[in-house]
Amino acid sequence: MKPALNLTIILALLANTAFAAQEKAVRESNELYERPLDELVYIETQAKADVGSREGARDALDAAVPIDVITAEQLESSGYTELGKVLSKLVPGFNFPRPSITDGTDHAPPFTLRGLNPDQVLVLVNGKRQHQSSLLNMNGTIGRGSSGVDLNTIPLRSIERIEVLRDGAAAQYGSDAIAGIINIILKGHDRKSSLTGSYGSTFKGDGRMRQGDTFLSVALPDDGYLNLTAEARDRGPTNRAGADDRDGYRINTHFGDADTQDYLLAVNAAVPRGDTIYYLHGTFDRRLSSAGAFYRLKDDERNIQSIYPNGFLPRIEPKIMDLSLSTGAKGVLGNGTTWDLSYTLGYNEFKFYVNNSLNRSLGLTTPTSFYSGATSYLQQVINLDLAKKLGNHSVAGGLEYRLERYRISSGDEASYVLGSFHDWAAGAQGFGGFMPENRVTAKRDSFAAYLDAKYALFPWMHIDGAVRYEQYSDFGSTIDGKLALRVRPTEDLLLRASGSTGFRAPSLTQANFTSTAMVRNGSEIDRWGYFNVNHPVARALGATDLKPEKSLHFTSGIVYQPRSNFSISADYFITWIDDRIMPTGYIASWNLSGLSPQAAAILSSNNIDGAVYFTNAISTRTNGFDLRLNYTLTFDSSSRLKLTGAYNRSEAKITKVNAAPSVLGVDMTSLVLDPNTRVTIENGQPVDSFKLWTKYESRLFDAVLNLNRFGSYSSTSGYDKVDFSALWTVDLEFTWHLMKNMNITIGGENILDAMPDTWGQTSDSVIGAGKIIQYSQYSPIGYNGAYYYARLGFTF
Amino acid sequence: MRLLCITLLLVLATVQHLHASDLERRLEAVFLGRFASFIELPDNSRDRFVITLIDDNPFGGMLDQIYKDKTIHNKPIVVRTVTRVREIGKTDILFITLSTTAARQEAIEYAHRNGIVTISEARGFAERGGIIQLNFVGQKTQIRINYAAAQRSGIKIGAPLLSIATVLRGEEP
Repeated sequence: MKPALNLTIILALLANTAFAAQEKAVRESNELYERPLDELVYIETQAKADVGSREGARDALDAAVPIDVITAEQLESSGYTELGKVLSKLVPGFNFPRPSITDGTDHAPPFTLRGLNPDQVLVLVNGKRQHQSSLLNMNGTIGRGSSGVDLNTIPLRSIERIEVLRDGAAAQYGSDAIAGIINIILKGHDRKSSLTGSYGSTFKGDGRMRQGDTFLSVALPDDGYLNLTAEARDRGPTNRAGADDRDGYRINTHFGDADTQDYLLAVNAAVPRGDTIYYLHGTFDRRLSSAGAFYRLKDDERNIQSIYPNGFLPRIEPKIMDLSLSTGAKGVLGNGTTWDLSYTLGYNEFKFYVNNSLNRSLGLTTPTSFYSGATSYLQQVINLDLAKKLGNHSVAGGLEYRLERYRISSGDEASYVLGSFHDWAAGAQGFGGFMPENRVTAKRDSFAAYLDAKYALFPWMHIDGAVRYEQYSDFGSTIDGKLALRVRPTEDLLLRASGSTGFRAPSLTQANFTSTAMVRNGSEIDRWGYFNVNHPVARALGATDLKPEKSLHFTSGIVYQPRSNFSISADYFITWIDDRIMPTGYIASWNLSGLSPQAAAILSSNNIDGAVYFTNAISTRTNGFDLRLNYTLTFDSSSRLKLTGAYNRSEAKITKVNAAPSVLGVDMTSLVLDPNTRVTIENGQPVDSFKLWTKYESRLFDAVLNLNRFGSYSSTSGYDKVDFSALWTVDLEFTWHLMKNMNITIGGENILDAMPDTWGQTSDSVIGAGKIIQYSQYSPIGYNGAYYYARLGFTF
Repeated sequence: MRLLCITLLLVLATVQHLHASDLERRLEAVFLGRFASFIELPDNSRDRFVITLIDDNPFGGMLDQIYKDKTIHNKPIVVRTVTRVREIGKTDILFITLSTTAARQEAIEYAHRNGIVTISEARGFAERGGIIQLNFVGQKTQIRINYAAAQRSGIKIGAPLLSIATVLRGEEP
């Protein structure tokens, strides 16, 4: 057959399909036309998303890139009130383990997307970059060596929806958008005010949660609004530590959720004046938290028995403050160009306090409470966006200036000093303080210029392109691009594909974190710990300026939506990341066999016992796929059944190890990839996850049933890999609408009390089945078991 | 054969796929006619019911398709698009997509003088004298009706429509 004939047949088929689709659209519209008005207004329309485009909100299922939209209804139909926990039940590939005995990380657990790191996902609030925490996760947790955004600082009741962009988007939004973007949209115009109180507890009787919030919406002229949310949350600790056979089988350790009190505020306001809207939004969280370190037995060398005759559990009790504020103006010019000029401030501060502790080296003069210093991170962003539609095409661009500052302040002298009563047990037990030599004030700024364009080849075929240039004051410039193709061959079917490059700028915390401690070496005092890459010791040991992580992404997928109330989608993705930034292992002769004599001499001559610094170490590949299903069945004008099913599979593989600094005389695998680190990167997070969210709603009551599968994951005991099997959980919630404006809810999370696998038999004295720590802190559901709750809500 | 190819390509190039998930647009298209059936206009003398879109036509050919066989108040329906206020002429419903407040205000004032029902998605539209503001908030339809403005224009709105809307009564009782 001739090529021209082939083409003609294909085109004829497409044209026929197109006309058939149009007929179907009209037929369905005619069906709508026949329905009563009250039924028409009850119809739930499609989810909209802003993220991934500068054109404004558009149909999430019609986008060129995969986007999930989590609605306020879904967010609020959970017993959990912390955003991280709630999203772990709704977003497949969103991992929110609950680490314990991990210093600061207990108090602000990081989350990850698609098995990558916490700092490889960009978080936006109303489209504006949210700042990261000043906490660098340094213990053996998921996300070790990274700083993420603390999602639990945002009150749940202030959120209208959450958009999860499942694609790299650094070419549009800049650094960090590697695993994807989480865009949190705060409630805006025309929202009812509400008052909510909830109470919950685990099946085992701990983890008592008392929570109350109010959302107050005040209408302003011209559909402006002032929305205020205030929340107080008191979450009691949970404890799944086992008995300590070294201490008369007493449970002396705390292994579970920290005891936290959060006081949260959110504001979202818009004041229209003609074609300009002045806006302000922000969040504030003050968190007081308390968790334990490892227990010091009474005869532990680090204890002073006259102070703690039975031993002691140091309490790490940080006071955390988190603030974000965006203000600006946006509008439309006479020629239809939209503009948005904004200023965004983000600030996070951790002040570390340690109580019920001591500094062994100070003898009986030791205090038992310490201030161990603080970390803070400040981010300021000025942004200008412009966008214009040109028929079916559009073009957008913008400029951005960002200023960052990271600071470490030292603690009380007693929190870090090495006194004369001990050779190595310096500082506060549990969390030694930052020393004066650890004090850091690091700044950098960056400038970005970007351009997005959508070109409609046909009404049913778009090509999106984006390019972004960034200049950072510390490491130089990057330029990234993105191309996406969206084809709708028929009304029911959407084909999409995208390719992009991306990057993640080394965080100021990674480049500047310094935390050292003292140890006596004969008559000398040696230092050991983390040195920033600019420290002379780190430089002498081969540290270099950190380079950005570079990424390459491909995504392709298909959406089938035969009716407005039913859709399924499948998307494949692959992400390569080069030069991932990691902390080295402990560089010391006794720890690294093969360490060069030259490196050993550098350590010795600088009175350093051992050193750790950050370096661009490895390349990885993460690939997998996502499946989604949405179905809504409307029975009449007051009842319907909604169902959302989602599956994600993500597999990570280390593909390359960079060369180690020659001065060390060891290869990079020996330097950074101990068995635990390798397993954590490749297998530490669930390989897959499945979520089924269902809700039946009616005038009288609502019922929500969730089914979750958290895939298998691994960790290490010593040098041995330990596998933990997948687990299923079921959540159930009933809400009775007692009156038009009042409802009462009872429910349970993980109602069947599923627990993760225990460690099994190990040679470790503390970690293992039947021992103090029986569960892996990598467990994606934590280890609290079932949680039951009640909630009373009013709207007004 | 080449001519056929080119023709088919041209056909495909003009076909707008209003996909199944674009329910908001479909509902909006349906609401235009359904609203009209609950509205009594001061000038009932024309033999056709005219829906005019000013500025963009976000519906493509959908309105023509939906309304080609229907009637409102026993009149056949005509859908037309204009770009300027002075082109509006005589119409029963004016769907406004103008992007600036000043341009919308000009259209509202024209409609007010001529007893035309104005409908728009623009924020603050009803407060600024538009008759019906139609929005989708949290995946739900929200209808805001400026009853006082309707009365000033001599437009009567039936109770079934008012009952599903937020009604701005202004200075009216």
